Amino acid sequence: MSVLRKNSVLPGFNLAMGFTLLYLSLIVLIPLSATFIKTASLGWGGFWQVITTPRVLASYKLTFSAALIGAGINTVFGLLIAWVLVRYEFFGKKVIDAIVDLPFALPTAVAGISLATIYSTKGWVGQLFAPLGVKIAYTPLGVVVALTFIGLPFVVRTVQPVLEEFEVELEEAAASLGATRLQTFLKVIFPTLWPALLTGFALAFARAVGEYGSVIFIAGNIPMVSEITPLLIITKLEQYDYAGATALASSMLIVSFILLLAINLLQWWGQHRHTKH
Amino acid sequence: MSIQIRYITKSFGNFQALKGINFDIAPGELVALLGPSGCGKTTLLRIIAGLEWPDSGQIIFHGVDATSRHVREREVGFVFQHYALFRHMTVFENIAFGLRVRPKATRPTEHEIKEKVLRLLKLVQLEWLSDRYPPQLSGGQRQRIALARALAVEPKVLLLDEPFGALDAKVRKDLRRWLRNLHDELHVTSVFVTHDQEEALEVADRIVVMNAGQVEQIGAPDEVYEHPATPFVYQFLGDVNLFHGRVDDGWAKIGEADIRLPEQEVDQSDSALFFVRPHEIEVNRSNGNGVKGIGAFVRDIRRYGAVVRLELERTDGDGFVEAVLSREEFKANTVRKGDEVILQPKRIKVFPQAAEPAPIDYVI
Repeated sequence: MSVLRKNSVLPGFNLAMGFTLLYLSLIVLIPLSATFIKTASLGWGGFWQVITTPRVLASYKLTFSAALIGAGINTVFGLLIAWVLVRYEFFGKKVIDAIVDLPFALPTAVAGISLATIYSTKGWVGQLFAPLGVKIAYTPLGVVVALTFIGLPFVVRTVQPVLEEFEVELEEAAASLGATRLQTFLKVIFPTLWPALLTGFALAFARAVGEYGSVIFIAGNIPMVSEITPLLIITKLEQYDYAGATALASSMLIVSFILLLAINLLQWWGQHRHTKH
Repeated sequence: MSIQIRYITKSFGNFQALKGINFDIAPGELVALLGPSGCGKTTLLRIIAGLEWPDSGQIIFHGVDATSRHVREREVGFVFQHYALFRHMTVFENIAFGLRVRPKATRPTEHEIKEKVLRLLKLVQLEWLSDRYPPQLSGGQRQRIALARALAVEPKVLLLDEPFGALDAKVRKDLRRWLRNLHDELHVTSVFVTHDQEEALEVADRIVVMNAGQVEQIGAPDEVYEHPATPFVYQFLGDVNLFHGRVDDGWAKIGEADIRLPEQEVDQSDSALFFVRPHEIEVNRSNGNGVKGIGAFVRDIRRYGAVVRLELERTDGDGFVEAVLSREEFKANTVRKGDEVILQPKRIKVFPQAAEPAPIDYVI
């Protein structure tokens, strides 16, 4: 640190770094460690018992798989939307650009209620699927729909600037060397985009894992079927089982942290592979 | 392969970038498109490559109309000013790209690809960089890799868009000599775009001088330099002093001065432009012996290399003149800052101002 300070032309390192640490502690680290401290009151045995009951395990399965599927769907279609917004000029482009941000802005409960209404068997979209025997609202499928909805902006907004900066010359170079459009996309464009896509995926996933408001309205919350982990935590809190609630929270935290760390490492590897000496 | 460029026009919105360009390029020739920025030279190059479509006109490759052919099928190698290397691929993979994207039937085997890439790396003298990534290379190295990549697909035509524009002076000089040698070795028909007259004069077999979407002159470097066809070419190629005046009975009247015009085709003109190169001006001390010329004060003297540069201000207040003397000339006729001198052009080029505009089409 002192080396950095001595050689840096930027003033105020101590102050800025001190504030950063304080802020991170207050906002992130202290609340999170409180979670772990509360959990610790259960002891290992108690902790393990709480987080491995069949109902909890089913909720993990639903929460993480629905979040992964939602983030995956967003990665594909978010890329498509970003592509359309960057590459083409059309009437109403600004409006579409603004619509992308709606899931950010909408109160999650509002989103949840509207999604539940639209995707129920009598809703606008739900009634189209009902004859096919596909129920969306009040099933795990509904959870995926809600998590896809709230994760969309993350992918679009991380990929968009990268696409905007993508040099058209690279595509022209590929074409002049004989590459088809598909080859150009797969071999030239996609490798440039994937770190951003991965970031968008990670953000959408992280958001989806913790989502509560919009899901509980559309999920139906049937134990063992469409009950998400955040709901179980709330349930435990309502029963004044604070230790149990924090135990679930801690387990989610650890799994999410490991997943995000893995994604970050993957990204780091992707970026530094090309600049190693 | 020969290229024929036939009456190419191209507009971007209201801006007419190319106004009927028409000339031929012989097989194996190295041609420079030279002009100031915005003159349409890059647009023309991109039209030849198939990266841009003309509004009208034709591009003919070896007698076959290629105007509607996609860049993929034109068999051209294109080298970009900013290299356009694929950052996520090693140098080796960059060069191999054009071979790997071929359809299965014509794709060389892995062994052949390897052999070819190594041969190209040897050609551009960068064998030792094959497994580096582009961000780890210097500008000059990147451009040579970009050239190797373009050559890998064995293009019939090599097109270079300001290939050395982003490099520093020293590297630029080395690279253009190297490009000239490479061209002499490969003999692939090449067209390069540049705004650097020195680069064009040094490298090209033939120069196409362009201005405002039109061709001003086409010719060998010395021809274009020694016999500029238009005032624009005169000013664009090399340093030049411009005087306004008139021509009267074989005499140039510039301000107060009368200068005899030797063997000039212009006898009479009320308004004319006179061009004099800085090294074709004689500077004499004015000692009142009645030498006729343009009076000037010496404002600045700079010595570098083999020459001495004088900055002179005309006594009639009609602007500045630059003169370049050899060290010997300067010694023989010492002038100091502030001296009053008489300038006598040794060679003068007259363009009567009412002259017709330069013809648009050149067919060689």
